[in-house]
Amino acid sequence: MVTGILTMVVVWCLFYGRLPAAVLLLLGGGLGAALSLLGRHGSGQFLTIDILAQTSRLNRVSPLLKFWTALILMALCVSASSSFVGLFLTVFMLILIVCGGGLALHDYIHLLALPLSFLLLGGLALLFEVTVQRTGVLGIPVFGFWLCVSQAAQTRAMLVMARALGSLSCLYMLSLTTPMSDLIGVLRRIHCPELLIDLMYLIYRYIFILLSMYHAMRDAAASRLGFGDYRTSLRTTGNLYFSLLFRSYRQANRNFDAMESRCFDSGIRFLEDAGKIRGSHVLAAGALILLTLGLSIFFW
Amino acid sequence: MNYTRTEKNILALSCMAAIFLMGARTVHAMHIMEGYLPLAHCVGWDAVCLPFLAAGLIRIRKILNRSRRILILLAMSGAFVFVISSLKIPSVTGSCSHMTGTGLAAILFGPLVTSVLAVIVLVFQALLLAHGGLTTLGANTFSMGIIGPVLTWLLYLAGRKLKVNRKASVFLAAALGDLLTYCVTSLQLAAAYPDPVGGMASSAVRFLGVFAPTQLPLAVVEGLLTVLIVIGMEQFAEPELREISFLEAK
Repeated sequence: MVTGILTMVVVWCLFYGRLPAAVLLLLGGGLGAALSLLGRHGSGQFLTIDILAQTSRLNRVSPLLKFWTALILMALCVSASSSFVGLFLTVFMLILIVCGGGLALHDYIHLLALPLSFLLLGGLALLFEVTVQRTGVLGIPVFGFWLCVSQAAQTRAMLVMARALGSLSCLYMLSLTTPMSDLIGVLRRIHCPELLIDLMYLIYRYIFILLSMYHAMRDAAASRLGFGDYRTSLRTTGNLYFSLLFRSYRQANRNFDAMESRCFDSGIRFLEDAGKIRGSHVLAAGALILLTLGLSIFFW
Repeated sequence: MNYTRTEKNILALSCMAAIFLMGARTVHAMHIMEGYLPLAHCVGWDAVCLPFLAAGLIRIRKILNRSRRILILLAMSGAFVFVISSLKIPSVTGSCSHMTGTGLAAILFGPLVTSVLAVIVLVFQALLLAHGGLTTLGANTFSMGIIGPVLTWLLYLAGRKLKVNRKASVFLAAALGDLLTYCVTSLQLAAAYPDPVGGMASSAVRFLGVFAPTQLPLAVVEGLLTVLIVIGMEQFAEPELREISFLEAK
Protein backbone atom coordinates (compact mmCIF):
# COMPACT_ATOMS: atom_id res chain seq x y z
CA MET A 1 0.00 0.00 0.00
CA VAL A 2 2.69 2.45 1.06
CA THR A 3 4.85 1.41 -1.87
CA GLY A 4 1.87 1.99 -4.10
CA ILE A 5 1.38 5.55 -2.85
CA LEU A 6 5.08 6.26 -3.07
CA THR A 7 5.23 4.92 -6.61
CA MET A 8 2.35 7.16 -7.53
CA VAL A 9 4.10 10.21 -6.07
CA VAL A 10 7.39 9.43 -7.79
CA VAL A 11 5.80 8.73 -11.16
CA TRP A 12 3.79 11.92 -10.84
CA CYS A 13 6.89 14.00 -10.12
CA LEU A 14 8.92 12.22 -12.78
CA PHE A 15 6.58 13.00 -15.66
CA TYR A 16 4.94 16.17 -14.39
CA GLY A 17 4.74 18.75 -17.14
CA ARG A 18 5.68 16.20 -19.80
CA LEU A 19 2.47 14.29 -20.10
CA PRO A 20 -1.12 15.51 -19.94
CA ALA A 21 -2.58 15.37 -16.43
CA ALA A 22 -5.10 12.65 -17.25
CA VAL A 23 -2.47 10.27 -18.67
CA LEU A 24 -0.24 11.06 -15.72
CA LEU A 25 -2.95 10.26 -13.22
CA LEU A 26 -3.79 7.04 -15.02
CA LEU A 27 -0.14 5.96 -15.26
CA GLY A 28 0.73 6.80 -11.65
CA GLY A 29 -2.48 5.39 -10.24
CA GLY A 30 -2.27 2.26 -12.37
CA LEU A 31 1.33 1.51 -11.42
CA GLY A 32 0.67 2.28 -7.77
CA ALA A 33 -2.41 0.08 -7.63
CA ALA A 34 -0.69 -2.73 -9.54
CA LEU A 35 2.22 -2.70 -7.11
CA SER A 36 0.12 -2.62 -3.98
CA LEU A 37 -1.89 -5.55 -5.33
CA LEU A 38 1.19 -7.49 -6.42
CA GLY A 39 2.88 -6.83 -3.10
CA ARG A 40 0.50 -9.24 -1.42
CA HIS A 41 1.46 -12.05 -3.74
CA GLY A 42 4.86 -12.57 -2.18
CA SER A 43 5.31 -16.28 -1.53
CA GLY A 44 6.84 -15.37 1.83
CA GLN A 45 9.49 -17.98 1.24
CA PHE A 46 13.08 -17.18 2.05
CA LEU A 47 15.74 -17.47 -0.68
CA THR A 48 13.13 -17.73 -3.45
CA ILE A 49 15.76 -16.81 -6.02
CA ASP A 50 17.84 -19.86 -5.15
CA ILE A 51 14.87 -22.20 -5.66
CA LEU A 52 13.89 -20.52 -8.91
CA ALA A 53 17.46 -20.78 -10.23
CA GLN A 54 17.49 -24.52 -9.66
CA THR A 55 14.31 -25.00 -11.68
CA SER A 56 14.98 -22.52 -14.49
CA ARG A 57 14.99 -23.89 -18.02
CA LEU A 58 18.07 -21.78 -18.76
CA ASN A 59 20.27 -23.36 -16.12
CA ARG A 60 21.91 -25.65 -18.68
CA VAL A 61 23.37 -22.67 -20.54
CA SER A 62 27.05 -22.30 -19.67
CA PRO A 63 27.36 -20.25 -16.46
CA LEU A 64 30.63 -18.76 -17.68
CA LEU A 65 28.88 -17.33 -20.73
CA LYS A 66 25.97 -16.00 -18.65
CA PHE A 67 28.38 -14.45 -16.15
CA TRP A 68 30.36 -12.48 -18.71
CA THR A 69 27.29 -11.51 -20.71
CA ALA A 70 25.61 -10.18 -17.58
CA LEU A 71 28.69 -8.24 -16.53
CA ILE A 72 29.25 -6.67 -19.95
CA LEU A 73 25.58 -5.76 -20.31
CA MET A 74 25.56 -4.20 -16.84
CA ALA A 75 28.64 -2.14 -17.66
CA LEU A 76 27.02 -0.97 -20.91
CA CYS A 77 23.79 -0.21 -19.07
CA VAL A 78 25.32 1.91 -16.29
CA SER A 79 27.48 3.85 -18.72
CA ALA A 80 24.66 4.56 -21.17
CA SER A 81 23.57 8.16 -21.36
CA SER A 82 20.02 7.46 -22.46
CA SER A 83 17.25 5.72 -20.56
CA PHE A 84 16.38 3.69 -23.65
CA VAL A 85 19.23 1.24 -23.06
CA GLY A 86 18.02 0.48 -19.54
CA LEU A 87 14.43 0.11 -20.65
CA PHE A 88 15.43 -2.10 -23.59
CA LEU A 89 17.37 -4.43 -21.27
CA THR A 90 14.50 -4.49 -18.76
CA VAL A 91 12.00 -5.56 -21.41
CA PHE A 92 14.40 -7.97 -23.12
CA MET A 93 15.34 -9.72 -19.89
CA LEU A 94 11.70 -9.92 -18.84
CA ILE A 95 10.90 -11.74 -22.08
CA LEU A 96 14.01 -13.92 -21.82
CA ILE A 97 13.44 -14.94 -18.22
CA VAL A 98 9.69 -15.42 -18.47
CA CYS A 99 9.48 -17.06 -21.91
CA GLY A 100 12.93 -18.63 -22.11
CA GLY A 101 13.43 -19.53 -18.46
CA GLY A 102 9.84 -20.49 -17.75
CA LEU A 103 9.38 -18.25 -14.72
CA ALA A 104 5.84 -17.08 -13.93
CA LEU A 105 5.34 -13.44 -14.87
CA HIS A 106 3.87 -12.37 -11.53
CA ASP A 107 6.79 -14.00 -9.68
CA TYR A 108 9.22 -12.03 -11.81
CA ILE A 109 7.41 -8.75 -11.31
CA HIS A 110 7.33 -9.39 -7.59
CA LEU A 111 11.10 -9.93 -7.69
CA LEU A 112 11.62 -6.75 -9.69
CA ALA A 113 9.75 -4.86 -6.99
CA LEU A 114 12.11 -6.06 -4.23
CA PRO A 115 14.58 -3.16 -4.33
CA LEU A 116 11.70 -0.78 -5.03
CA SER A 117 11.85 1.03 -1.71
CA PHE A 118 15.47 1.97 -2.38
CA LEU A 119 14.71 2.96 -5.95
CA LEU A 120 11.76 5.16 -4.96
CA LEU A 121 13.39 6.84 -1.96
CA GLY A 122 16.54 7.47 -3.95
CA GLY A 123 14.35 8.78 -6.76
CA LEU A 124 12.71 11.27 -4.38
CA ALA A 125 16.14 12.47 -3.27
CA LEU A 126 17.21 12.90 -6.88
CA LEU A 127 14.04 14.72 -7.90
CA PHE A 128 13.53 17.26 -5.17
CA GLU A 129 15.77 20.10 -4.26
CA VAL A 130 15.19 22.45 -1.35
CA THR A 131 15.22 26.08 -2.43
CA VAL A 132 14.16 29.40 -0.98
CA GLN A 133 12.34 30.43 -4.14
CA ARG A 134 10.06 28.42 -6.32
CA THR A 135 11.84 27.11 -9.44
CA GLY A 136 11.37 24.31 -11.90
CA VAL A 137 8.19 22.69 -13.10
CA LEU A 138 6.77 21.66 -9.75
CA GLY A 139 7.04 23.23 -6.32
CA ILE A 140 5.69 22.29 -2.92
CA PRO A 141 5.94 24.75 -0.03
CA VAL A 142 7.19 23.24 3.22
CA PHE A 143 7.79 25.42 6.28
CA GLY A 144 8.79 28.52 4.34
CA PHE A 145 10.98 26.59 1.87
CA TRP A 146 10.15 25.09 -1.47
CA LEU A 147 10.64 21.48 -2.50
CA CYS A 148 11.18 21.90 -6.22
CA VAL A 149 11.47 19.56 -9.16
CA SER A 150 13.34 20.88 -12.18
CA GLN A 151 13.30 19.51 -15.69
CA ALA A 152 16.97 18.55 -15.47
CA ALA A 153 16.32 16.65 -12.25
CA GLN A 154 13.47 14.79 -13.93
CA THR A 155 15.69 13.74 -16.81
CA ARG A 156 18.45 12.65 -14.46
CA ALA A 157 16.15 10.71 -12.15
CA MET A 158 14.63 8.96 -15.13
CA LEU A 159 18.06 8.01 -16.47
CA VAL A 160 19.24 6.72 -13.09
CA MET A 161 16.10 4.68 -12.53
CA ALA A 162 16.23 3.22 -16.03
CA ARG A 163 19.89 2.25 -15.56
CA ALA A 164 19.09 0.66 -12.22
CA LEU A 165 16.17 -1.32 -13.63
CA GLY A 166 18.20 -2.42 -16.65
CA SER A 167 21.14 -3.69 -14.68
CA LEU A 168 18.86 -5.25 -12.07
CA SER A 169 17.31 -7.21 -14.94
CA CYS A 170 20.77 -8.35 -16.06
CA LEU A 171 21.51 -9.42 -12.50
CA TYR A 172 18.29 -11.44 -12.48
CA MET A 173 19.19 -12.97 -15.82
CA LEU A 174 22.27 -14.33 -14.06
CA SER A 175 20.93 -15.13 -10.61
CA LEU A 176 17.53 -16.52 -11.62
CA THR A 177 18.99 -18.97 -14.11
CA THR A 178 22.24 -20.05 -12.49
CA PRO A 179 22.46 -22.14 -9.31
CA MET A 180 24.95 -20.77 -6.78
CA SER A 181 27.31 -23.75 -7.02
CA ASP A 182 27.72 -23.09 -10.77
CA LEU A 183 28.45 -19.42 -10.09
CA ILE A 184 31.11 -20.27 -7.53
CA GLY A 185 32.54 -22.66 -10.15
CA VAL A 186 32.78 -19.70 -12.52
CA LEU A 187 34.70 -17.73 -9.91
CA ARG A 188 37.11 -20.65 -9.62
CA ARG A 189 37.54 -20.68 -13.41
CA ILE A 190 38.43 -16.98 -13.45
CA HIS A 191 41.05 -17.59 -10.76
CA CYS A 192 39.62 -15.95 -7.68
CA PRO A 193 41.77 -16.73 -4.63
CA GLU A 194 41.24 -20.34 -3.54
CA LEU A 195 40.62 -19.28 0.05
CA LEU A 196 37.78 -17.00 -1.01
CA ILE A 197 36.18 -19.77 -3.07
CA ASP A 198 36.36 -22.26 -0.19
CA LEU A 199 34.81 -19.72 2.16
CA MET A 200 32.05 -19.02 -0.33
CA TYR A 201 31.20 -22.70 -0.77
CA LEU A 202 31.08 -23.27 2.96
CA ILE A 203 29.14 -20.10 3.71
CA TYR A 204 26.57 -20.95 1.06
CA ARG A 205 25.99 -24.39 2.55
CA TYR A 206 25.91 -23.14 6.13
CA ILE A 207 23.29 -20.53 5.31
CA PHE A 208 20.73 -23.31 4.98
CA ILE A 209 21.80 -25.05 8.18
CA LEU A 210 21.58 -21.78 10.09
CA LEU A 211 18.22 -20.89 8.61
CA SER A 212 16.58 -24.15 9.60
CA MET A 213 18.13 -23.88 13.06
CA TYR A 214 16.84 -20.34 13.33
CA HIS A 215 13.33 -21.18 12.22
CA ALA A 216 13.05 -24.01 14.76
CA MET A 217 14.24 -21.75 17.58
CA ARG A 218 12.07 -18.85 16.52
CA ASP A 219 8.96 -21.01 16.42
CA ALA A 220 9.81 -22.41 19.85
CA ALA A 221 10.25 -18.89 21.22
CA ALA A 222 7.09 -17.63 19.56
CA SER A 223 5.00 -20.48 20.98
CA ARG A 224 6.18 -19.40 24.45
CA LEU A 225 5.08 -15.79 23.88
CA GLY A 226 8.64 -14.68 23.24
CA PHE A 227 7.47 -11.95 20.90
CA GLY A 228 4.69 -10.67 23.17
CA ASP A 229 5.64 -7.02 23.40
CA TYR A 230 8.41 -4.90 22.00
CA ARG A 231 10.81 -5.26 24.92
CA THR A 232 10.41 -9.00 25.07
CA SER A 233 10.77 -9.43 21.34
CA LEU A 234 14.00 -7.45 21.32
CA ARG A 235 15.39 -9.59 24.12
CA THR A 236 14.18 -12.77 22.43
CA THR A 237 15.78 -11.75 19.14
CA GLY A 238 19.08 -11.06 20.89
CA ASN A 239 19.00 -14.40 22.66
CA LEU A 240 18.01 -16.18 19.46
CA TYR A 241 20.90 -14.71 17.52
CA PHE A 242 23.33 -15.46 20.27
CA SER A 243 22.23 -19.10 20.58
CA LEU A 244 22.29 -19.37 16.81
CA LEU A 245 25.93 -18.26 16.71
CA PHE A 246 26.82 -20.40 19.69
CA ARG A 247 25.14 -23.54 18.34
CA SER A 248 26.54 -22.94 14.88
CA TYR A 249 30.06 -22.90 16.31
CA ARG A 250 29.43 -26.23 17.97
CA GLN A 251 28.14 -27.53 14.65
CA ALA A 252 31.19 -26.12 12.86
CA ASN A 253 33.50 -27.94 15.25
CA ARG A 254 31.69 -31.21 14.62
CA ASN A 255 31.90 -30.61 10.87
CA PHE A 256 35.60 -30.03 11.05
CA ASP A 257 36.12 -33.21 13.04
CA ALA A 258 34.19 -35.08 10.37
CA MET A 259 36.26 -33.51 7.61
CA GLU A 260 39.53 -34.17 9.34
CA SER A 261 38.66 -37.81 9.91
CA ARG A 262 38.18 -38.03 6.13
CA CYS A 263 41.69 -36.68 5.50
CA PHE A 264 40.86 -33.02 4.80
CA ASP A 265 44.07 -31.11 4.21
CA SER A 266 43.09 -28.06 2.19
CA GLY A 267 40.86 -27.10 -0.68
CA ILE A 268 37.29 -28.25 -0.97
CA ARG A 269 36.23 -29.86 -4.23
CA PHE A 270 32.70 -30.31 -5.50
CA LEU A 271 31.48 -32.10 -8.57
CA GLU A 272 30.80 -29.50 -11.22
CA ASP A 273 27.97 -30.30 -13.53
CA ALA A 274 27.57 -26.99 -15.29
CA GLY A 275 26.44 -26.63 -18.90
CA LYS A 276 29.06 -26.41 -21.62
CA ILE A 277 29.53 -23.41 -23.88
CA ARG A 278 27.62 -23.86 -27.12
CA GLY A 279 28.21 -21.98 -30.35
CA SER A 280 24.59 -20.90 -30.75
CA HIS A 281 24.50 -19.48 -27.22
CA VAL A 282 27.73 -17.54 -27.81
CA LEU A 283 26.28 -16.12 -31.03
CA ALA A 284 23.07 -15.08 -29.29
CA ALA A 285 24.93 -13.45 -26.41
CA GLY A 286 27.26 -11.66 -28.83
CA ALA A 287 24.32 -10.38 -30.85
CA LEU A 288 22.62 -9.09 -27.70
CA ILE A 289 25.77 -7.29 -26.57
CA LEU A 290 26.28 -5.74 -30.01
CA LEU A 291 22.64 -4.65 -30.12
CA THR A 292 22.92 -3.01 -26.69
CA LEU A 293 26.17 -1.35 -27.70
CA GLY A 294 24.55 -0.10 -30.90
CA LEU A 295 21.60 1.28 -28.94
CA SER A 296 23.81 3.10 -26.47
CA ILE A 297 25.88 4.66 -29.28
CA PHE A 298 22.78 5.55 -31.29
CA PHE A 299 21.09 7.29 -28.36
CA TRP A 300 24.30 8.89 -27.03
CA MET B 1 0.99 24.48 -14.67
CA ASN B 2 0.21 26.07 -11.31
CA TYR B 3 -1.38 24.08 -8.56
CA THR B 4 -4.29 25.23 -6.50
CA ARG B 5 -3.71 25.51 -2.80
CA THR B 6 -5.58 22.30 -1.99
CA GLU B 7 -3.71 20.34 -4.62
CA LYS B 8 -0.38 21.50 -3.26
CA ASN B 9 -1.35 20.56 0.25
CA ILE B 10 -2.51 17.12 -0.80
CA LEU B 11 0.71 16.48 -2.67
CA ALA B 12 2.88 17.73 0.20
CA LEU B 13 0.94 15.67 2.71
CA SER B 14 1.16 12.52 0.62
CA CYS B 15 4.92 12.99 0.22
CA MET B 16 5.34 13.36 3.98
CA ALA B 17 3.07 10.43 4.69
CA ALA B 18 4.94 8.27 2.19
CA ILE B 19 8.31 9.09 3.69
CA PHE B 20 7.25 8.45 7.26
CA LEU B 21 5.12 5.42 6.48
CA MET B 22 8.06 3.80 4.74
CA GLY B 23 8.88 2.57 8.21
CA ALA B 24 5.76 0.43 8.01
CA ARG B 25 7.13 -1.89 5.36
CA THR B 26 10.14 -4.09 5.28
CA VAL B 27 13.25 -2.06 4.69
CA HIS B 28 16.62 -3.54 4.03
CA ALA B 29 19.89 -2.41 5.45
CA MET B 30 20.81 0.34 3.11
CA HIS B 31 22.65 -1.19 0.19
CA ILE B 32 23.02 0.80 -2.99
CA MET B 33 21.00 -1.13 -5.54
CA GLU B 34 22.30 -2.63 -8.76
CA GLY B 35 23.02 -0.11 -11.48
CA TYR B 36 22.53 2.96 -9.32
CA LEU B 37 26.09 4.25 -9.63
CA PRO B 38 27.83 5.33 -12.87
CA LEU B 39 30.56 3.03 -14.17
CA ALA B 40 33.48 5.22 -13.08
CA HIS B 41 32.23 5.24 -9.49
CA CYS B 42 31.71 1.46 -9.48
CA VAL B 43 35.25 0.82 -10.62
CA GLY B 44 36.63 3.44 -8.24
CA TRP B 45 34.98 1.94 -5.17
CA ASP B 46 36.05 -1.55 -6.24
CA ALA B 47 39.62 -0.30 -6.39
CA VAL B 48 39.38 1.32 -2.96
CA CYS B 49 38.27 -2.00 -1.44
CA LEU B 50 40.98 -4.16 -3.00
CA PRO B 51 43.82 -3.42 -0.54
CA PHE B 52 41.56 -4.13 2.43
CA LEU B 53 40.42 -7.42 0.93
CA ALA B 54 43.96 -8.46 0.11
CA ALA B 55 45.07 -7.63 3.65
CA GLY B 56 42.09 -9.55 5.01
CA LEU B 57 42.84 -12.63 2.93
CA ILE B 58 46.49 -12.58 4.00
CA ARG B 59 45.41 -12.27 7.61
CA ILE B 60 42.99 -15.20 7.31
CA ARG B 61 45.70 -17.30 5.65
CA LYS B 62 48.02 -16.55 8.56
CA ILE B 63 45.37 -17.56 11.07
CA LEU B 64 44.67 -20.73 9.08
CA ASN B 65 48.32 -21.74 9.21
CA ARG B 66 47.93 -21.88 12.97
CA SER B 67 44.78 -23.98 12.87
CA ARG B 68 42.71 -25.09 9.90
CA ARG B 69 39.66 -25.53 12.07
CA ILE B 70 39.20 -21.80 11.88
CA LEU B 71 38.21 -21.99 8.22
CA ILE B 72 35.01 -23.69 9.30
CA LEU B 73 34.42 -21.25 12.15
CA LEU B 74 34.92 -18.31 9.80
CA ALA B 75 32.58 -19.80 7.23
CA MET B 76 29.98 -20.31 9.94
CA SER B 77 30.42 -16.70 11.02
CA GLY B 78 30.00 -15.50 7.44
CA ALA B 79 26.82 -17.52 7.10
CA PHE B 80 25.68 -16.07 10.42
CA VAL B 81 26.26 -12.51 9.21
CA PHE B 82 24.29 -13.31 6.05
CA VAL B 83 21.42 -14.83 7.99
CA ILE B 84 21.05 -12.07 10.57
CA SER B 85 21.39 -9.37 7.95
CA SER B 86 18.51 -10.86 6.01
CA LEU B 87 16.17 -11.67 8.90
CA LYS B 88 13.59 -9.25 10.15
CA ILE B 89 14.27 -7.67 13.50
CA PRO B 90 11.72 -5.90 15.65
CA SER B 91 12.07 -2.19 15.03
CA VAL B 92 10.93 0.79 17.05
CA THR B 93 8.11 1.89 14.79
CA GLY B 94 6.66 -1.61 14.74
CA SER B 95 8.06 -2.09 11.27
CA CYS B 96 10.66 -4.58 10.15
CA SER B 97 14.25 -3.91 9.35
CA HIS B 98 17.51 -5.80 9.14
CA MET B 99 20.84 -5.63 10.93
CA THR B 100 24.03 -5.14 8.99
CA GLY B 101 25.75 -7.67 11.23
CA THR B 102 29.16 -6.41 10.21
CA GLY B 103 29.56 -4.42 13.42
CA LEU B 104 29.22 -7.63 15.35
CA ALA B 105 31.73 -9.33 13.08
CA ALA B 106 34.17 -6.44 13.55
CA ILE B 107 33.96 -6.74 17.33
CA LEU B 108 34.42 -10.51 17.17
CA PHE B 109 37.07 -10.85 14.45
CA GLY B 110 38.56 -7.43 13.77
CA PRO B 111 38.03 -5.26 10.68
CA LEU B 112 40.36 -7.07 8.22
CA VAL B 113 38.68 -10.46 8.49
CA THR B 114 35.32 -8.72 8.51
CA SER B 115 35.99 -7.09 5.16
CA VAL B 116 36.48 -10.49 3.52
CA LEU B 117 33.36 -11.93 5.14
CA ALA B 118 31.42 -8.81 4.19
CA VAL B 119 32.30 -9.00 0.51
CA ILE B 120 31.16 -12.64 0.35
CA VAL B 121 27.97 -11.83 2.22
CA LEU B 122 27.30 -8.92 -0.13
CA VAL B 123 27.80 -11.12 -3.21
CA PHE B 124 25.31 -13.61 -1.79
CA GLN B 125 22.86 -10.88 -0.88
CA ALA B 126 23.06 -9.49 -4.40
CA LEU B 127 22.58 -12.89 -6.03
CA LEU B 128 20.18 -14.59 -3.62
CA LEU B 129 18.14 -11.65 -2.33
CA ALA B 130 18.62 -8.99 -5.05
CA HIS B 131 19.82 -6.80 -2.27
CA GLY B 132 22.66 -4.54 -3.36
CA GLY B 133 24.29 -5.54 -6.61
CA LEU B 134 27.35 -6.65 -8.52
CA THR B 135 28.16 -3.26 -10.06
CA THR B 136 27.74 -1.55 -6.70
CA LEU B 137 29.61 -4.28 -4.82
CA GLY B 138 32.67 -2.10 -4.24
CA ALA B 139 30.69 0.85 -2.91
CA ASN B 140 28.63 -1.34 -0.60
CA THR B 141 31.67 -3.24 0.61
CA PHE B 142 33.38 0.02 1.42
CA SER B 143 30.50 1.42 3.45
CA MET B 144 29.26 -1.77 5.10
CA GLY B 145 32.33 -3.95 5.20
CA ILE B 146 35.19 -1.52 5.74
CA ILE B 147 34.37 1.94 7.07
CA GLY B 148 31.57 0.93 9.46
CA PRO B 149 33.45 -2.05 10.94
CA VAL B 150 36.67 -0.02 11.28
CA LEU B 151 34.86 2.62 13.33
CA THR B 152 33.11 -0.06 15.40
CA TRP B 153 36.42 -1.80 16.04
CA LEU B 154 38.19 1.43 17.02
CA LEU B 155 35.40 2.52 19.35
CA TYR B 156 35.28 -0.93 20.91
CA LEU B 157 39.05 -0.93 21.47
CA ALA B 158 38.93 2.58 22.90
CA GLY B 159 36.11 1.55 25.21
CA ARG B 160 38.16 -1.38 26.45
CA LYS B 161 41.27 0.75 26.98
CA LEU B 162 39.34 3.42 28.85
CA LYS B 163 37.51 0.79 30.91
CA VAL B 164 34.09 2.09 29.92
CA ASN B 165 31.15 -0.12 30.85
CA ARG B 166 31.31 -3.05 28.42
CA LYS B 167 27.69 -2.97 27.43
CA ALA B 168 27.83 0.76 26.79
CA SER B 169 30.96 0.52 24.68
CA VAL B 170 29.64 -2.38 22.58
CA PHE B 171 26.35 -0.55 22.10
CA LEU B 172 28.01 2.69 21.08
CA ALA B 173 30.49 0.96 18.81
CA ALA B 174 27.83 -1.02 16.94
CA ALA B 175 25.28 1.79 16.73
CA LEU B 176 27.75 4.43 15.59
CA GLY B 177 29.33 2.01 13.11
CA ASP B 178 25.88 1.44 11.66
CA LEU B 179 25.24 5.18 11.49
CA LEU B 180 28.55 5.75 9.75
CA THR B 181 27.68 3.08 7.20
CA TYR B 182 24.47 4.93 6.41
CA CYS B 183 26.23 8.30 6.22
CA VAL B 184 28.94 6.94 3.93
CA THR B 185 26.32 5.38 1.67
CA SER B 186 24.55 8.73 1.43
CA LEU B 187 27.85 10.42 0.62
CA GLN B 188 28.59 7.83 -2.06
CA LEU B 189 25.21 8.50 -3.63
CA ALA B 190 25.77 12.25 -3.37
CA ALA B 191 29.22 11.97 -4.94
CA ALA B 192 27.68 10.13 -7.88
CA TYR B 193 24.75 12.51 -8.22
CA PRO B 194 25.77 15.95 -6.93
CA ASP B 195 23.25 18.73 -6.93
CA PRO B 196 23.55 20.94 -10.04
CA VAL B 197 23.19 24.04 -7.85
CA GLY B 198 24.22 23.16 -4.29
CA GLY B 199 26.87 20.59 -5.20
CA MET B 200 27.64 17.44 -3.28
CA ALA B 201 26.80 18.77 0.19
CA SER B 202 23.22 19.68 -0.60
CA SER B 203 22.70 16.39 -2.40
CA ALA B 204 24.17 14.48 0.57
CA VAL B 205 21.76 16.20 2.94
CA ARG B 206 18.86 15.10 0.78
CA PHE B 207 19.97 11.46 0.65
CA LEU B 208 20.58 11.50 4.40
CA GLY B 209 17.14 12.96 4.99
CA VAL B 210 15.26 10.57 2.77
CA PHE B 211 16.77 7.46 4.37
CA ALA B 212 16.89 8.77 7.95
CA PRO B 213 13.43 7.55 9.08
CA THR B 214 14.40 3.94 8.44
CA GLN B 215 18.08 4.07 9.29
CA LEU B 216 18.17 5.95 12.62
CA PRO B 217 15.98 3.50 14.58
CA LEU B 218 17.85 0.66 12.93
CA ALA B 219 21.17 1.85 14.35
CA VAL B 220 19.75 1.80 17.89
CA VAL B 221 18.29 -1.68 17.48
CA GLU B 222 21.50 -2.93 15.92
CA GLY B 223 23.43 -1.61 18.92
CA LEU B 224 21.09 -3.29 21.42
CA LEU B 225 21.15 -6.66 19.66
CA THR B 226 24.92 -6.58 19.26
CA VAL B 227 25.27 -6.05 23.01
CA LEU B 228 23.10 -9.08 23.72
CA ILE B 229 25.02 -11.28 21.27
CA VAL B 230 28.54 -10.20 22.25
CA ILE B 231 27.92 -10.53 25.97
CA GLY B 232 26.37 -13.96 25.45
CA MET B 233 29.20 -15.18 23.25
CA GLU B 234 31.86 -14.05 25.69
CA GLN B 235 30.16 -15.92 28.49
CA PHE B 236 29.46 -19.16 26.70
CA ALA B 237 31.68 -19.56 23.66
CA GLU B 238 35.05 -18.38 24.83
CA PRO B 239 37.12 -21.29 23.44
CA GLU B 240 35.81 -20.77 19.92
CA LEU B 241 36.33 -17.02 20.06
CA ARG B 242 39.81 -17.44 21.42
CA GLU B 243 40.57 -19.62 18.43
CA ILE B 244 39.56 -16.90 16.00
CA SER B 245 42.00 -14.69 17.87
CA PHE B 246 39.44 -12.18 18.96
CA LEU B 247 40.24 -12.55 22.63
CA GLU B 248 43.99 -12.70 22.25
CA ALA B 249 44.29 -8.94 22.35
CA LYS B 250 42.94 -9.00 25.89
